[in-house]
Amino acid sequence: MAKLFKSISEEYDTYGTISEQGEIVFGQVRGFKDIVDGRSKYAPKEFLISRNENILYLPKIEKKAVFGIRSCDLKGFYIMDRQIYGKDPFYTARRDNTLFINFVCREPCEGGFCSSFGGPVLEEYQIQVIPDGGKYLVMVSEEFEKYMKDFKVVENNEIEKFRKDFDNKMEKLPVEGIENRIKWNSKLWKEYASICISCGACNFSCPTCYCFDLYDREDERLREWDSCILAGFTSSSAGNNRPELDERLRQRFYHKYVYYKKSKDVYLCTGCNRCTEDCPVDIDIKEVITHDYSKE
Amino acid sequence: MIIQKNEYLPEYYNIENVKWETPDIYTINIKTKNPGHSGQFFMLSVPGTGEAAISVASGNGRDLSFTIRKIGSVTGKIYSSQKIGVRGPYGKGWPWKDYDHIVAVAGGIGVPPIRSLLEELMDAGRNRDVSIIYGARTPSDLVYKDRFEEWSRCVDLTITVDRGDEKWGGNTGFVTEFIGRKNFSKDTAIFIIGPPLMMKNSVAEAIKSGIREENIFLSLERRMECGIGVCGHCNVGEYYVCEDGPIFRYTDVKDKPELFL
Ligand SMILES: Cc1cc2nc3c(=O)[nH]c(=O)nc-3n(C[C@H](O)[C@H](O)[C@H](O)COP(=O)(O)OP(=O)(O)OC[C@H]3O[C@@H](n4cnc5c(N)ncnc54)[C@H](O)[C@@H]3O)c2cc1C
Ligand code: SF4
Ligand code: FES
Repeated sequence: MAKLFKSISEEYDTYGTISEQGEIVFGQVRGFKDIVDGRSKYAPKEFLISRNENILYLPKIEKKAVFGIRSCDLKGFYIMDRQIYGKDPFYTARRDNTLFINFVCREPCEGGFCSSFGGPVLEEYQIQVIPDGGKYLVMVSEEFEKYMKDFKVVENNEIEKFRKDFDNKMEKLPVEGIENRIKWNSKLWKEYASICISCGACNFSCPTCYCFDLYDREDERLREWDSCILAGFTSSSAGNNRPELDERLRQRFYHKYVYYKKSKDVYLCTGCNRCTEDCPVDIDIKEVITHDYSKE
Repeated sequence: MIIQKNEYLPEYYNIENVKWETPDIYTINIKTKNPGHSGQFFMLSVPGTGEAAISVASGNGRDLSFTIRKIGSVTGKIYSSQKIGVRGPYGKGWPWKDYDHIVAVAGGIGVPPIRSLLEELMDAGRNRDVSIIYGARTPSDLVYKDRFEEWSRCVDLTITVDRGDEKWGGNTGFVTEFIGRKNFSKDTAIFIIGPPLMMKNSVAEAIKSGIREENIFLSLERRMECGIGVCGHCNVGEYYVCEDGPIFRYTDVKDKPELFL
């Protein structure tokens, strides 16, 4: 891996998961040994969608290689690509210039449900790494094969075995068909609304949420991450089509499990469980999938 | 993919003139040809204040024009600005080329996209193929008053107000009352834009008058920030109103909550 890191670093600025004051965060790294194998505290959305930036000025985009991104976080980009790639110039330029080297989890994380969306071994990736006690199984997409000239590439049956083992360890939720089972007037939305404090943490922590707001400050026009849970999100001169919190919570779940599936043929969720972990009132998105709507 | 252009960066233009249509609605002209089509919109901006989605009021290829209601920070500053930012056109326009006969119904401030439609039909020599029904609350709420005479000479134009005043000699009543009075063929298309209740009633009236549901088109307004399908504000159901709309076929939205229901 050190060799792979070195050849990549000749072309890219290198970033990776590092430990900082007891937390795993992304930072610039100089060698493979600086990288820790663990999930970052925050989803790495900022590599492609800045939390705050002036959209009137498209800077020169540097080539970055990001080591150690978890599969669930990386998958978020492949999913949002379908809505925003090729349209947002900043996202598109950064996407084209960033090489993600995702690390596959060997063990299920607490609360995670990625196996419901295909599991941690991704179908779409650039360079995918399965750590295997000091050794690494590496999968490379065609575009990056040049980095693998000197390496033995993993056999398919090894991957299959890994997939099976993982699936045995993580329960799969009944995601399939949720877009048809879910109910517009379910009692869940009002229940959630009675405890939700509209903090927006669920959206900010989500690796698939891409919404933002634009506002002017002097001669800058700033993009800032936004949240569909916030009351003003849809207010317009023609009125507000989601004035109530239960309507906005429902929108979040419907966008993820109904609308995106209909328009882009994929759920807008990777099973990372970040929204549930970060919710101060413990609203668990898994309940939206497992809830028995037929009894309502 | 190589992105060469920053889509968010507007081009800046001088405003040629400001015409007050009513005490709070004004029309501006800009000296550049409209690259868009009727029903589409542009993002107009006042540097330091922000952007607003505004429908194009002039026909394709004519000088760009917008009619704007002063209701907030950006719309309250455009008319007094030397230069404004313009980016677009965005969204889908009226599919007028697909139909031999069109009834266009506008309520209130919804009329700019009907003016651009009319101009495009006139420029295409198809002014005989359209009937326009435009209603406002009172005579003083009507915009484009100075154009009515010219328009009525070349198209079938019905102007109505909910309530007249002493000087008003024209029609009174809601636009819906006039829809049924038009002659339709079974292939007639109807384009509707205005406040939600007016659109609902107009749809009901159109169906009652024998217009096919799939020939009904609506312009829907939702909160917009980016205009290009990425910021998420205009998402309703499986649509992004800025890119899948603002013009929708009625049959694509009729059963959808938050869109038309
Ligand atoms: C497709 C489309 C076409 C439109 N065409 C026209 C037109 O031809 N003429 C016209 O006068 N208006 C039009 N509008 C409405 C216009 O965009 C809003 O009136 C404008 O954004 C208000 O901006 P402001 O800064 O002046 O108001 P603000 O100071 O921002 O707010 C005033 C009011 O507008 C609402 N609002 C704020 N931001 C937005 C936003 N981004 N989009 C919508 N509403 C917002 C606020 O909730 C508040 O009720 C159109 C809107 C859309 C979506
Ligand atoms: S994180 Fe929880 S409390 Fe905060 S907005 Fe989301 S659902 Fe509501
Ligand atoms: S206005 Fe931003 S997605 Fe439609």
